[in-house]
Amino acid sequence: MGNKLTRRQFFRNTTGTAAIVGTAIATASPQVHPPGLRGNTRVQQIATNCEMCFWRCGVMAEVADGKLLKLQGNPHHPLTKGKLCARGNAGVALLNDPDRLKYPQIRTGERGEGKFRRVSWDEALDFLGTKLKELKQKHGPESVALFPHGVHSGFFATLMKAYGTPNAAEPAFAQCRGPRDIGYQLTFGRPVNSPEPVDLEESKCIVLIGSHIGENVFTSQVTAFAEGLSKGAKLIVVDPRFSTAASKANYWLPIKPGTDTALLLAWMNVLITEKLYDEEYLDQYASGFKELETHVGSYTPEWAAGMTDLPAAQIRETAHLMAEAKPSVAIHPGRHVTWYGNDTQRARAMAILTALLGAYGRKGGLFLPTKLAIGRIPLPQMPESEKPRADREANQYPLASEEAHGLTQGLINATLTEKPYPIKGWIVYGQNILESIPTRQQTLAAIKKLDFMAVVDVLPMEQTRYADLVLPEATYLERYDPPAIVTTSKRPFVSIRQPAVEAMHESKPGWWIAKEAAKRLGVSDYFPWADPDDHLRRLISPLGIKMDELKALGAVSFDGKPYIEDRGENDGPLFPTQSGKIELVSSVLQDLKLDALPKYEAVEAPPEGYLRLIYGRSPVHSFSRSENNAWLDDLMAENPVWISSKAAESFRLTDGQKVILQNQDGVKSPAITLKVTPAMRSDVVYTVHGFGAQGPSLKKAYQHGFSDTALMTRIAVDQLMGATGMRVNFVRVLPAERA
Amino acid sequence: MPRYAMVIDQERCVGCQSCTVACKSEWDVPNGSARTRVRNAGVRGDYPNFVSTFYVSQCNHCDHPTCVPACPSGATYQDGNGIVRVNKALCIGCGSCVAACPYGARYIDAAKGVVDKCDFCAERREAGLEPACTLTCPANAKIFGDLEDTGSTVFNMVYRLGAQRTQSAEVRIGPNVYYAGRPEHVEMAAAAFPPGEPRTVAAGRVWSGFAKKVVYLAVGTTFLGQAVAFFHQLATGEKQFDE
Repeated sequence: MGNKLTRRQFFRNTTGTAAIVGTAIATASPQVHPPGLRGNTRVQQIATNCEMCFWRCGVMAEVADGKLLKLQGNPHHPLTKGKLCARGNAGVALLNDPDRLKYPQIRTGERGEGKFRRVSWDEALDFLGTKLKELKQKHGPESVALFPHGVHSGFFATLMKAYGTPNAAEPAFAQCRGPRDIGYQLTFGRPVNSPEPVDLEESKCIVLIGSHIGENVFTSQVTAFAEGLSKGAKLIVVDPRFSTAASKANYWLPIKPGTDTALLLAWMNVLITEKLYDEEYLDQYASGFKELETHVGSYTPEWAAGMTDLPAAQIRETAHLMAEAKPSVAIHPGRHVTWYGNDTQRARAMAILTALLGAYGRKGGLFLPTKLAIGRIPLPQMPESEKPRADREANQYPLASEEAHGLTQGLINATLTEKPYPIKGWIVYGQNILESIPTRQQTLAAIKKLDFMAVVDVLPMEQTRYADLVLPEATYLERYDPPAIVTTSKRPFVSIRQPAVEAMHESKPGWWIAKEAAKRLGVSDYFPWADPDDHLRRLISPLGIKMDELKALGAVSFDGKPYIEDRGENDGPLFPTQSGKIELVSSVLQDLKLDALPKYEAVEAPPEGYLRLIYGRSPVHSFSRSENNAWLDDLMAENPVWISSKAAESFRLTDGQKVILQNQDGVKSPAITLKVTPAMRSDVVYTVHGFGAQGPSLKKAYQHGFSDTALMTRIAVDQLMGATGMRVNFVRVLPAERA
Repeated sequence: MPRYAMVIDQERCVGCQSCTVACKSEWDVPNGSARTRVRNAGVRGDYPNFVSTFYVSQCNHCDHPTCVPACPSGATYQDGNGIVRVNKALCIGCGSCVAACPYGARYIDAAKGVVDKCDFCAERREAGLEPACTLTCPANAKIFGDLEDTGSTVFNMVYRLGAQRTQSAEVRIGPNVYYAGRPEHVEMAAAAFPPGEPRTVAAGRVWSGFAKKVVYLAVGTTFLGQAVAFFHQLATGEKQFDE
């Protein structure tokens, strides 16, 4: 009973950008950025948001005669300020991708065979409506699950909630940043959110733990990182591989994978035993220091050295480096953090270390979000589901998200086992379920059990071949999406996505598809706005900004209150935890009778002859979503597998050779190119995630490189919140000709 | 007269290739070619002490360009601002300049049959815009400016902070792309991508290129167009243009 209450209170603070509690509301009148250069006057400049990844950078689309000429950064955008990455610039090639889904299709062949017939939108939407009504009648509305992704999936979330199912889950939670957001929420009372409010540009010491900024490119984050370094910030990079970021670091700590929490505890030990923490800050804002002091007493650098493979002296030196820079220490909370199944506790350790340095809410550390008084569109009461969510059992994963974020693999398991009840229909929107969720074999097996599967997508990803209904969505350059309402920026802002060109082929924007589907399902009341303009107007009306101004500039920003000293009494609690303090000892975890302070747990080591499979990003791709982009394929068409010189020598492998990877369960990769480098640990192999497309309809990407996800037949589930740790797979590297 | 230069700050550059794609988009660079590219200089050192960096290459707009005298048709020239440019109308696509460039900065656009390369975004600059690559660079690692302007960032980086040119004992032609950052990074990139030996191409290829151009000119659209316009005007009488 006690647990349940705690959980509900906890979740009151977690979901939705607009629901952030205890953050100051922007007060000053909006600042409008001056109009910039226009170039050739005959060219129309349309301001919108990028979607080549999820950062939503501001872009200016140059359009002449209804044709997109090129994309540039939008200089008026308060966060990204005219910067655009390789992918953002290559959005043109997505728009013009010849492989795009062009019209609605209904499957005629076997699942996976890729045989479809072209249908009209009317037939497609009627089919969707009929199927969903059938499923509701036969099995109840809970028998349909939604796999959405991104802010723009909100229209589909509304549709499916109105239909009556509580089942929705996106990989952003259980395959990406869930553990981090829960860990920071437990400690500071609010999740980290996106874009991450890390004050890199003002930092005196930047600490990256597995974050590979530079290879992982979010434009404004790279800008701030380069700015910080160029102003003299010290940089500590913890990574088994000598990353781009490591090449700029004062300290590269090639840590033994899975031992990060040992390092974090040892850093805390040094700060506390040598009294290098921010005492005044902790006295004022934190609770549980005494317990923490006792807890980390035995976690000495000498102890951690044995776990992490890092010299004790180096652990001390780096702790001292942070202490000298406090409170301007930016310990990046990371983003994709589902590694080993104990990730929430690692995030907790990072949050506690941040607190010891007095860096939360301080210049050069993590800054505070500023709430925006965004408008709400009143909707009728959502139907209350008679059944609980299917993605977990009653007492499982107490801190798992209750909203659309949910547990993808939980829904897949439920579909497979029909427990707690059968799931017979899937709606996939904006996700690539075969590449972003591990244990692909299970996903494929679950698909076989479905009566109905609909996929809304831009490109014919492999998953579309399994669908009964494929609906072609317009690209981000051709559609309206809900505005980005960003509170985790020093200047909070609203920015918009609006069509730069008309939708090509017969593709349609997501909002239109959802609204039309709602008509078929008799839930049009949940879509009370007339059109995108009406939708946008209602959302921005309390902010006092003009529609035409917002449309011309793409974004409007407001004064923020990013640091503790900016906050007044009316700005809400600084730390909206249960106690109103930074909880070094988590009261929520205490109430749940779980470890209230993070402890070190060893992870399984690779068996003899095997190496741990780790993965990361390339600056020129956004996972599988950009793989078919002709411009980006030109820069990187496949993902070599990296191995250390030492390991290569012991396996008698050479640089450039073709190899296959075989995992612990015997699953093999196709032949791939080996990249040998001295600059990584010899117990891992590394690759860039997102390659190896299996759908032949992606003519450019088909079988380019290999899929790391396909080798993830094993996961380690975080018992606190259900995230799937994916760095627990081991591979043998075999010469291709012998395998 | 301005003296334009580009400084690459290797401390800032993260190798993300935003510049490459922005440039591709701006100038319709075909796949497989680039007007500016970013290359990794590899790694040096022993575990766990390594050095690694990126090298951003493009046309250097050399003070004494080897490509200009190599061009048989006069298409490649140095403009009044010291910028090396290609007049595509005159280019015969013979590749002499491609071979003559020690920095590998030029490519032949096979579809158009002409040579192309970075011109410091001359047309954008004339319209008052900054180069596409510097505008887009998330790390602000590419800095464009005038070395005659003592208040400019490029002046500061070249003359006060000692940004370096990529040259060798053999090739010293005054490149105007400079590299700044930690000395070991600048030195490493320069060593990994030294200027090559300027080469010449076979005379036959040059002449065949010329022959093509001459034929085009002889039956060229200019003449035909003029003729058509002349007869058209004769038929319809003189008309006032609106603009």
